[in-house]
This record gives sequence, structure tokens and C-alpha cells, in this order.
Amino acid sequence: MRALRFALVPAAIALGVVAYRIQLDNLGAATTPARSLAIVAVAWAFVGAGLVAWARRPGNRLGPLLAAAGFALLLRQLRYSHDAGLFTVFFALSELSYALVAHSVLAYPSGRVVGRPERVLVRVGYASMLLFPLAILLVYDASRPLRFLDPTARDSLLLVWENGALAVNLQKAFVVFVWGVLASAFIFLVLRRLVRATPRARRILAPLLLAAVVFALRAVFECVFTFAERPSEILYVYLFWWQVAGFVALPLALLAGMLRARLARAGVAELVLELERAPPQGLRDALARALGDPTLEVALWLPERSEYVDASGRPVTLPDEGGARTVTLLEHEGEPVAAIVHDATLVDEPELLRASGAAARMALENARLQAEMRAQLAEVQRSRARIVAAADEERRRIERDLHDGAQQRLVALALELRTAQRRLGGSTDPELERILAASVDELQAAVDELRELARGVHPAILTEDGLAAALESLSSRTPVPVTVDACGDRLPPQVEATAYFVACEALANVVKHSGASAATVTALRRNGMLVIEVEDDGVGGAHADGGSGLRGLADRVEALGGRLRVVSPAGGGTRVVGEIPCAS
Amino acid sequence: MRVVIAEDSVLLREGLARMLADEGFEIAAQVDNADALHHAVHREKPDVAIVDVRMPPTQTDEGARAAREIRAAHPEVGILLLSQVVEAKHALELFSEHPEGFGYLLKDRVLEIDDFLEAIRRVARGGTAIDPEVVAQLMGRRRTADPLAELSPREREVLALMAEGRSNQAICRKLFLSPKTVETHVHSIFLKLNLPPEADDHRRVLAVLAQLRSLEGG
Repeated sequence: MRALRFALVPAAIALGVVAYRIQLDNLGAATTPARSLAIVAVAWAFVGAGLVAWARRPGNRLGPLLAAAGFALLLRQLRYSHDAGLFTVFFALSELSYALVAHSVLAYPSGRVVGRPERVLVRVGYASMLLFPLAILLVYDASRPLRFLDPTARDSLLLVWENGALAVNLQKAFVVFVWGVLASAFIFLVLRRLVRATPRARRILAPLLLAAVVFALRAVFECVFTFAERPSEILYVYLFWWQVAGFVALPLALLAGMLRARLARAGVAELVLELERAPPQGLRDALARALGDPTLEVALWLPERSEYVDASGRPVTLPDEGGARTVTLLEHEGEPVAAIVHDATLVDEPELLRASGAAARMALENARLQAEMRAQLAEVQRSRARIVAAADEERRRIERDLHDGAQQRLVALALELRTAQRRLGGSTDPELERILAASVDELQAAVDELRELARGVHPAILTEDGLAAALESLSSRTPVPVTVDACGDRLPPQVEATAYFVACEALANVVKHSGASAATVTALRRNGMLVIEVEDDGVGGAHADGGSGLRGLADRVEALGGRLRVVSPAGGGTRVVGEIPCAS
Repeated sequence: MRVVIAEDSVLLREGLARMLADEGFEIAAQVDNADALHHAVHREKPDVAIVDVRMPPTQTDEGARAAREIRAAHPEVGILLLSQVVEAKHALELFSEHPEGFGYLLKDRVLEIDDFLEAIRRVARGGTAIDPEVVAQLMGRRRTADPLAELSPREREVLALMAEGRSNQAICRKLFLSPKTVETHVHSIFLKLNLPPEADDHRRVLAVLAQLRSLEGG
């Protein structure tokens, strides 16, 4: 590779000399030594910048691309030759030079073209830059001079049907499509990339602005001198020299930008020091500073779950290849440790990324353990909530089954007995009459008990009408006078059920232990919480973790991410407050 | 008297039909869902439809909804809703618009056959039948400045029976009192609750319910 690069230097010099001579010898009055030399200088700028970039970043395709564009710009001049073979071959290939320049710009700085529209544009560019000249060669009429060619005739070896008018029109179509449509698309995509770039990327992408300006100049130049009736010579001179300046500056700017993207080695040393002091949460910030990418994210690998999570344990999806964000995987002894999600422009710095990653490995390992713990905690929390929801569902099912099954059958059976009793009338055995009546009474008692049981398991009114109605119903069955103030909104079922059972248990305690003369129940929403509060004017002295059943309810409330407090000073009444998150 | 029975439990439906047939009722139709109930009522124009609150497909309140629709379409058909649980809130909602010809009872009230038959007949006549459990819930709530507290125990019993929708004669039979005594109690209750005297049973229920509900609000 090194030998090839060294061989390309004399090749570029020799080709430059040839290109210079060919222009002067063939174009006559259409050029001057200064203009011919300027065109060679542009090509040399590309070759030179390309070879330097290639040498400094062997892994980056941008260097070879720039060098190829430079050689194509040199070879392009050979189309001016009056030799039919040289003319045909290099006229056919001439426009590819601009496709290569555009490709280099779009591949800047990583050497890969990022984004689907960009890739499509590159392909369409190459195809049209090749097909239009070929088509022109098929119908080229030596007697009708083409634009930018001197009036002397050349011969196309590909000629199949001489048609000068068609050739001229094809050239116009070429200019409209390539320098009108494609160049606009190119400028749009380049500017869009600049606008969308992260702050770090935008600094590096600054040369793209130059590229947009240069291509705009070239497009204006092509269009003016294809379509203007009598283009002004002054305008030609201005546009020509501005283009030369722009096209010389472009490869140098791309090279400079690419080299500047290389990060300060000192960053790694600072990172090591900073990580020693930084808490695990500060890890991301430290890496972001060291690598100069404020948008950087750290994803930690959890082996037993086989997924990446962020520092708080939430799963992270790594971005796909080819986007503006790229992933660098950090491994230790063949096992993944973490992934750094960062700006694609950092890919040019694989050694720096690896060095930073290695420096951060201990800290990452630490952060990973913490993330693992948080992920497990979150999972436990979710599983508690699921258990509560499942238990509620089970209670609702039992309530339905009791009503629709056992209770229904008992009533039906009692009714059968009652009907039998009626049919027998008073005429038969009084003993039998008594037995039947007692059976019906027993069944009636069983039905009542089942109804109370079902209500205790899960009151139907809670499912059907919600918390406020269920609390009203509860208060009307409580022997102590109870004032209820509840919001009528429907809430998630497990929230309603939890609040209801808190009120139920608290009111049961009021009746059993407090000796209170009155109680109030409030259930109101405050700051995304349902606050259920039961207060009495009794003797107080209750404990949340006594055998009151409140302990189990506290677990239930906490399972939903809330908390339950009992305030019960001796002689000062009791206040039970449950706060249950109910985001809706 | 012709009745339609809507109840999805076969056992209970058959039992109810047999019992009512024994007591001289004509069973015009037996159905197990709300749609069939609509058709049966439309076709048979019964005196009373006895309707289970919970029926397929959702087993929640199909019966109650069907009852509301039937009352809008056929106001002359009495409706007696049966439920496994009764809630004062539901009763107040159900009776708020048209208490005439409407009843809402716990399912196991069918076991007290005489009371149950009387409730059916009352509903068929355009009267009201409210479950004692509902009345107990309404009267049982203790309130500050409770006018019910001024009633004697006997008067509270009479008030409860009035609230269920019973007539004076029915109250006499239930409490083994003479018509004269019951009338005295009723008069005294209306005085203490500050209600205008009502001759008509239906309007009397309404007044009592309204009073209980207003106490609810206060």
C-alpha cells in the first residue's frame, strides 16, 4: 500500500504535465496556460490531500476516494485530444470525476456514505455521469461542436447514427439532470446533514458547507454556459476562478477536518483520573467529555438477561448500523462488558475509543453491577404488582363464582324445599313440616353467609360502580357513623381494590378497637396519587405492624409503589393514610 | 296473573316457575337472556316480568338495563328485578324516575313465598317493592341531626315497611296491628319527618324515598 502511494505521486505529476499539454495543444483559443494550469492544480490538490489522508488513516476509504477523484480530474483532460481513441475513452469517462468528488464529500469523514438517500444519490450520480456521455458518443456529429470543445472535429469510435441536434440536446438534458436535479439534491442532503448534526459532529462537518458552495458554483457555471445565448466572458472568468479556488480548497478542508476529528490523546489520561473520582452515574458524563460527544450513551451488558440496560437498569435498544449513531462494543476476555452508543464520526478513532473503554472498564463493571441490581429490583417491583393484580382478579372470579354458582344453587334448592312444603300443606306430619321449614331457614342462613363472604372477598359494587360507590356502601354497613368523601373517577382496578381494602380494614379496626363515635373516609387524587384516608376520634394507640391486618395491606400498597402510614397517638384518635400512584 | 321469568340459572328458573304455577300464576314465558326477554315481553305483554340483574353475556347488569328499556317501551308491564346483592345506590338510581310498577329484591326473598307473591301482585298493580336490606341501608346510616332518631322503634318498623312499598293493610298483617294503630303511626311519622300526608301508597313510597335520599345528601 505504501509503495502504491509512493508510486502515485510521480504518476500524478506526469499525468498533470500531460493534461496541461493536451489542453494547450488541442483547445487553442478556448484556454490559456493559466487556466490549464489551474485545472491541473485542482486535480493535484485532490491527489495530494487524498494520499495524505490515506497515509494517516489507512483504514478510511476517504483518502483513496479523494485521490481517485484527483486522478479522474487529470484523466478528464485527455478527452480534448484529437486522437479518436483517447477522445472516445476519456469523453465517456470524463464526468465520473465529479461523481467521485461528490462521493468523497458524502463519504466524509468516515469514508462510508451514511444514509439511504445519500447512497441512492451516489449510485444515480455514477450511473448518469457515465450513461449520458456514452449516449452522446453514439450520435456525436463531428460537424456540430459540443459545448466546451473547440470547433475542430473529433471522431467518436462508438458512433452509430450521426445526429448533431440529438447530441446537443442530450448534453442539455445531461446538464439539467445532473447539474440541476442531482446537484440540488446533493446540496440539500449536505446542508441537511449539517443542520441535523450533533454539536461535536457539526464542528467536524464544517467542510461540507464549502462543498455545498463549490457544487452550487459549478452548477451555475454549467447551466449558464449551456443555456445562455451569449454568455459574458467576464462572468465566465469570475465563475471559473472562483471554482478553481473552491475546488482547491475543498480536498484540503476535507483532509484538515478529518485529521482534526482525531481526538487529543490527553483525553484518555484525564478520563482515567476522572473515573477514579466519579460515581457510577458520572461515568457517562466523563466518557462524553473525554470523547467530545455530549450525546454519548453507555449501555451495560447483563449476561444473565442477555440484554443491554442503562445505568438505572432499563433495557436499551442499540441503534442499527449505518445511522448517525454508532455502537462500539467493549469486551473483556471475550465477554461483552458494555456498549458505547456514540456519534458515527467517532468511528475514525477506534484506538481512542478502545483506550477510553479500557480506562473505563473497571468503572463500567461497577456500573454494570449496580444496573443489574436496579434491573432486578425493578423486576421484583413489577412482579409484586403483577401478583397483586392476579390476586385481585382471582378474588373477583371467586366473588362471581360464589354468586353465580353456590349461592344460586342454594337459593334454588331452598325454593324446591319451600315448594314441597307448600304442596304438602298443613295436612301432613307436623314433624316433616318443621324439618322442611328448618332446612329452608338453614339454607337461607347459608346464602346470607355466602353473600357476606363474597362481599368480603371482593364486593361486586367495587367492580361495577367503582371506589366511591363501594365506600358509600361500606359506610352504610358500618355500625359507627361514617362520613365519606370520595372522588367518583374510575381508577385502575388494583388501585381501587387496594384503596377499598385499606378503608375496609381501617373501618373494621375503628369498630373493633377504637371506641370511636364517628369516622371519616376520604379518597381523593393528589399529584398523581390516590390518597385514601380513614380517620376516627377513638382511643388511638394503633400500630401499622401490629396484628391489625394493616401490615398485609401496607405490603399491598407498597407493591403498587405507594405507602401506608398509621398515625395513632394514644388518646388522639387514629389516622390511616394510604398513598397509591394512579397515573392516568 | 301472567308473568315472564328471565333468569339464566335453569335450576332457579324452573323452581320459580313451578312455585308460581302452584300459586296460580300463568307462566307466559321463561327466558335466560336479555334479548329473549325483550321478545317475550313484546309478544306476551305480561302483567309482571321477573328479571335477574346478572345475565349473559357479561354477567354484570344486563337485567337492570333490559328493565329500563322495557319500562320505556311497555310502561304497563311491571318489573321485579332480582339480584344476589342489593345496593342502596342502585335502588335509588332504579327508582329515581318511575317507581311505579317496579320492584328490586334480593334473590332469596323468593323463599318467603307469601311476601314474595305479595310483592309481585303489588308491582303488577303499579306499586313498588323495595328490598328491606335497601331500606335498612338507607335508614341505618347515622347522621348528625337525624330526624329518624325522633321516631319510636315501632314507628321505625312502620317506616321501613312503608319504604318497601307496602300498603297499610299489608303493614297491619306484618306487624299484627289494627288498621287504626297503623294509621296513627303513619300519621305520626309523617308529622315527625315533616312530610305532607299522602293517601296513595305509591306516592307515599316516593315521599319516603325522597326523604331518605335527602337525608343521604345531608
